Amino acid sequence: MALDYRKCAQEIADNIGGGSNVISAAHCATRLRLVIADNSKVNKQALENVDGVKGMFESNGQLQLIIGTGTVNKVYDEFLSVTGASAASKDDVKAAAASKMPWWKKILKTPGDVFVPILPAIVASGLMMGLVEAIPKFWPAFGQTDWYAFLDLVANTAFALLPVLVAISSARVFGGNIFLGAVIGLMMVHPALINAWTVGGLDTIPTWHLWFFNVQQVGYQGHVIPVILAVLLMSKLEKGLHKIVPEMIDLFVTPLVTVLVTSFVTFTIIGPIFSILENYVLEGAKWLASFSIGAVVMGAIYPWTVVMGLHHMYNVIEAGMIAQTGLNTWMPIASAANFAQFGACLAVALKVKNQKTKSVAFPSSLSASLGITEPAIFGINFRFMKPFLCGMAGGAVGSLFGALFGLGAPVYGVTGIPAIPAVNNVPLYLVELAISAGVAFALVWMLWKEEQPQAAAAPAAPAIEVPTVSVIRCAAGQVLQPVKGNVIARDQIPDDTFASGVLGDGVGIQPSDDKVVAPFDGTISSVAESQHAVGIESNGMEMLIHVGVDTVNMHGDGFTCLVKEGDQVKLGQPLIIFDRAKIKAAGYSDTVAVLLTNSDDLEGVDCGAK
Amino acid sequence: MKSFEYTITDPVGIHARPAGVLVKEIKKYASAVTVKKGDKAVNALKLMALMGMGIKQGDTVTVEIEGADEDTAAAAIEAFFKANL
Repeated sequence: MALDYRKCAQEIADNIGGGSNVISAAHCATRLRLVIADNSKVNKQALENVDGVKGMFESNGQLQLIIGTGTVNKVYDEFLSVTGASAASKDDVKAAAASKMPWWKKILKTPGDVFVPILPAIVASGLMMGLVEAIPKFWPAFGQTDWYAFLDLVANTAFALLPVLVAISSARVFGGNIFLGAVIGLMMVHPALINAWTVGGLDTIPTWHLWFFNVQQVGYQGHVIPVILAVLLMSKLEKGLHKIVPEMIDLFVTPLVTVLVTSFVTFTIIGPIFSILENYVLEGAKWLASFSIGAVVMGAIYPWTVVMGLHHMYNVIEAGMIAQTGLNTWMPIASAANFAQFGACLAVALKVKNQKTKSVAFPSSLSASLGITEPAIFGINFRFMKPFLCGMAGGAVGSLFGALFGLGAPVYGVTGIPAIPAVNNVPLYLVELAISAGVAFALVWMLWKEEQPQAAAAPAAPAIEVPTVSVIRCAAGQVLQPVKGNVIARDQIPDDTFASGVLGDGVGIQPSDDKVVAPFDGTISSVAESQHAVGIESNGMEMLIHVGVDTVNMHGDGFTCLVKEGDQVKLGQPLIIFDRAKIKAAGYSDTVAVLLTNSDDLEGVDCGAK
Repeated sequence: MKSFEYTITDPVGIHARPAGVLVKEIKKYASAVTVKKGDKAVNALKLMALMGMGIKQGDTVTVEIEGADEDTAAAAIEAFFKANL
């Protein structure tokens, strides 16, 4: 007989403490691999007896159930549906929590989701880039060496081609194919396009004329938001196409259409919208930087332009300033803003208890002090938001100081510590950095609290089937049928003692299931050493549930009692799991005696299924 | 108060059926009957408590009988133990 996958999955779920006790479930060719939250809830003996489970062992923190080739996947599917219905895995819980967020929170959360997986790459590169670019500022000769050229290449790879990393990570976040995501990312920094970092110096920008769109042939180096949007579009498109394209041609039609449409929309709509936006930001930034109060505002909003990937255009402003006045007064604003993010990130690094966050926050803050703030912003500050806002405040105060004292530099392209040798007044510049970082640090230290990991949503009740048929009623309460099966009169129980009523009045049940559940809310008063009988009390009712006749002689083989004396149990809670086949094989009747042992002392006792 | 010691010979010990029969017997008398094994003692009228002691073959129990009819009850209950347990 074919295995009943659903039943098998249900029984597995029942014996591991329900779906709420499952952290993750996976399967290989033959085994169901489960990561369990609380191993004490796992009933190993009962698991091995589940029909379909051929064996069980624990390894690498996983509970592995051998089910067999060809069936394990089906049991797995049922297992997910069984456990998913009552309780979800923790990741699902997280996802469910995310889906309840207001839309604006979801939007703010997306860059963080995208950046967290690529943090190792940008933290490494950011730190290295900061160091490599800082050294020549103090030791100019180093800038001429081959070592500098080589290390610079290594360091800036992740940043020069950042859209590729962002695109791949976004595809994962949005559920698109990561290779198609990579294609979109690569296309946006294709060598045939003009590099976004250098485009500012060009008089005329080559343009394609596609229908009525004029597409500037400029890459998206340093961009984040347009890449995320492009891949979001790609992922939606791809998933939609998979649904409607016939399977036979799906493999070539879907990727082709996905990439073509996404590319076109990216270059004609997403890109231009952003370049218009960028131009406004650029003009606005130029205007703001020209007076003190403006500098305060700019110092505050600067990190937002980093989040949007617009900061790469500021070279244009700086270059313009130097051309006009010989002094780059933009640099103190950017330095204040960046150094404030450093201060905020450092405060998080020192305050946070989560080791993983700490290990990201330290190198990120170091990198930020050298002027590369992306790791600190995306990895820490923007993710937790409050440190980011504290950083904005620090940037504003620092910028004001810089503007009031007329700080500036005759160079451009550097901020933070590497800019020290270039500034017109080193001591005042150091004060500005200290103010920016200090304000941000202090605010974070005072205002930011580490979020405690959310307690998993209230553990859903394990899949309990509450019995509904009443088998015994009396003045003190009623006894619901504790085992599925055919209810028979007490005197029909194939055992003189039970039938005679010497142990009290009650009923017999010819079981069709292998599980005894509590017939009412009560307290376990006794458990037979051989696991086949259990006593339960409530409101003066003393109940004996005895599985099988003469089964005491089986000495527990084939029985698993799930409760112990003194346990409080709820109606429907499993008490005993028994193996009907073993009882039959041992030559005994499997009739379950359900008796009120003190029925003589109770009033109005009435037996029989109702 | 009367008491006697008895070593169980029934192969299943004081389990459901023997316990039920015992309770039935003890109910005939007015005296309170306590069954002790080691440091555990239970009211012998409480079937579940009696079973919960897990008294097995070879275990020695002390039975205490106290009440108006303790003399007759003690004799009868001891005889009952020997015959049935």
